[in-house]
Amino acid sequence: MTFSIARKEFQDTWRDGRFRWAAAIVLLLLGVSFLLARQQVEHQRNEREDATKMERDNWLNQGQKNAHAAAHYGVYVFKPVAPLSVFDRGLQPFVGNTVYLEAHRQNQAAFLPAQDATSMRRFGDLTAAACLQLLLPLLIILLAFGTLAGERESGTLRQVLSLGVRPASLVFGKALGLGGALALLLLPAAAGGAYALSGISGMDAAGEESALRLCLMACAYLLYLGAILVICITVSALAPTSRSALSILLVFWAANAVLAPRLASDLAQWSHPTPKMADLDADLLEARKQALNSHNPNSEAMKEFIEKNRDASGKLPANFRALLMQESERQTNLVYEKHFGGIWDLMEDQDKVVTWAGLAAPLLGLRSASVALAGTDFTHHRHFSIAAEKHRREFIRMLNNSHGASGRELWEKLPPFRYQPPSLSQAVSTAMPGLIILCLWLAGGCAALYVASRRLKPS
Amino acid sequence: MLETANLTKRFNDHAAVNNLTLKIGAGEIFALLGPNGAGKTTTINLLLGFLTPDSGEARVDGSNVASDPIAARRKIAYIPEQVMLYPRFTGIENLDYFSSLGGRKRSRAELLELLVGAGLAEESAIRRVSTYSKGMRQKVGIALALATEAKALLLDEPTSGLDPAASHEFSQLLRKLADDGVAVLMATHDLFRAREDSTRIGILRDGELAGNYTAEELKNVDLEQLYLEHLAADPALSEGKTESQK
Repeated sequence: MTFSIARKEFQDTWRDGRFRWAAAIVLLLLGVSFLLARQQVEHQRNEREDATKMERDNWLNQGQKNAHAAAHYGVYVFKPVAPLSVFDRGLQPFVGNTVYLEAHRQNQAAFLPAQDATSMRRFGDLTAAACLQLLLPLLIILLAFGTLAGERESGTLRQVLSLGVRPASLVFGKALGLGGALALLLLPAAAGGAYALSGISGMDAAGEESALRLCLMACAYLLYLGAILVICITVSALAPTSRSALSILLVFWAANAVLAPRLASDLAQWSHPTPKMADLDADLLEARKQALNSHNPNSEAMKEFIEKNRDASGKLPANFRALLMQESERQTNLVYEKHFGGIWDLMEDQDKVVTWAGLAAPLLGLRSASVALAGTDFTHHRHFSIAAEKHRREFIRMLNNSHGASGRELWEKLPPFRYQPPSLSQAVSTAMPGLIILCLWLAGGCAALYVASRRLKPS
Repeated sequence: MLETANLTKRFNDHAAVNNLTLKIGAGEIFALLGPNGAGKTTTINLLLGFLTPDSGEARVDGSNVASDPIAARRKIAYIPEQVMLYPRFTGIENLDYFSSLGGRKRSRAELLELLVGAGLAEESAIRRVSTYSKGMRQKVGIALALATEAKALLLDEPTSGLDPAASHEFSQLLRKLADDGVAVLMATHDLFRAREDSTRIGILRDGELAGNYTAEELKNVDLEQLYLEHLAADPALSEGKTESQK
């Protein structure tokens, strides 16, 4: 019986001109977003590959100079573009993609894509993720608000129930039928996504992992859309009229898509406040003054270090300069670790607050899982920053220990920066809270739908 | 087949159905007459299990409606004043869907035969029902009763708004169903059709069965006069009648 109901619901939805129009619009937007994203990702990839090559050439051809001067000359490293950013750009537009590695200083990633954007950005990006997170729920509301309330108004619900149909079979059959119609819409979208991904050069290397990440993302979106669908049918079952069902669902959509992200972000800032940039810079400057600076011979720290390294005859070791620079680096690193580590921890705590706020609005849970699996969340960005810093320390250590060597032979010893993004298991562990929240929403939605079916009134 | 015993349903202090006891056997057509608000539709809703009685019970072919509404409904076909169908589906598709919900999956040829048997033209059966008249919808309702092999048929003002020819055609189908052993309860205002089609007539007033007559008993009686006399026993309705006659 449930299957008969699902089949009828599917056919009825498919024959509904409103569905076909809305589906065509959503598909068009999805197609455009995939094409634009593919172009953009491809462009960014090429740009960063060229820049990496040029930067390496500059490093190797910098000429003869002191190793420490070369450390100050520094190198730029570039964050590789995550293949799945074609689907969900996440934080990418708002965090830098280039880190300048130099002596004594841990720089933050610079050159935010959002800086180059026009004022139109405030309306949001057209991405496949945004289409599925915001537009598809609207389409589901349009499809489902009248599914039971409308039948009650037209009298067909009375006719159906008079035949001895179990209300639970009816509501779950309708959910299956509408879900089937949506699946039909999602299939071309998935094909478009696969096409967009397959066209990106360099995908082969991480292709298998990207495919697994994409599958998990698809699961997250199915959980989200499934939860929205059962919520819509539940409201339709309980609302006295289809008009009131539509009003309730539109309020839910606005609360989920517009209000909740803003409130959750305010809640995160309130519960884990981050210092102002100016305060952070001032604190950092003060802490750096206290640390050993190899360029400041008159500082207290320098005097202490010199005294500590004198032997019994009062002489300094032959490699004192290397020791001084390395110790200066070590102390500076501790300062940066404390300051940036603290800020990053705060940001991750804020992310956790926003994710768990998903218990009140499913979109927050989905966004958290989606960006984690796409590799465009803060955890991935932090991973990249740490990898760049690790490379910087190794690069400085190598130059400090060069024992007076310099020139191309030395420059070539510095290996190019090769970034290995977090593994799938790391991404899944970050995405897990979001996935759990989505499972809870779907399970809760199904339970609510079952309860609503028991209260289903024919008129 | 269709039974109620001391069935009572109250809405606040008002008894919509009061102590109603009925027994409609297989092959009987029972017309339930009464003014608006007399409790006809409430009785049908109680028999369908859409309302829970305050006291008494209703049974359909032995199944208690209150304790097992699904089993009771499985034995019933219900035709409201306006049979509601899915407008984006054809007549045959509607019948296919409703009949499968009623537990009877039938082939397309069988469904078409049932619709034609209910008086619907073959070309109409394959047209979307958004173009159907009320009479055509009622025929789909009858076809559904045939398709589900219902043991009892509940009709709520089935001929209201039908033209005389359609109404006559509907009556013939009803009698055919009764001849096949279906117990029919028809709530109606149509005294003419009630007299023509029914084997028994009950007059409902304020939720109570004020009169219960066999067709034989009514053979030489003016039904309209009898109906008005029963209503006249209610002072409020009596005044209403006088007002309308003025």
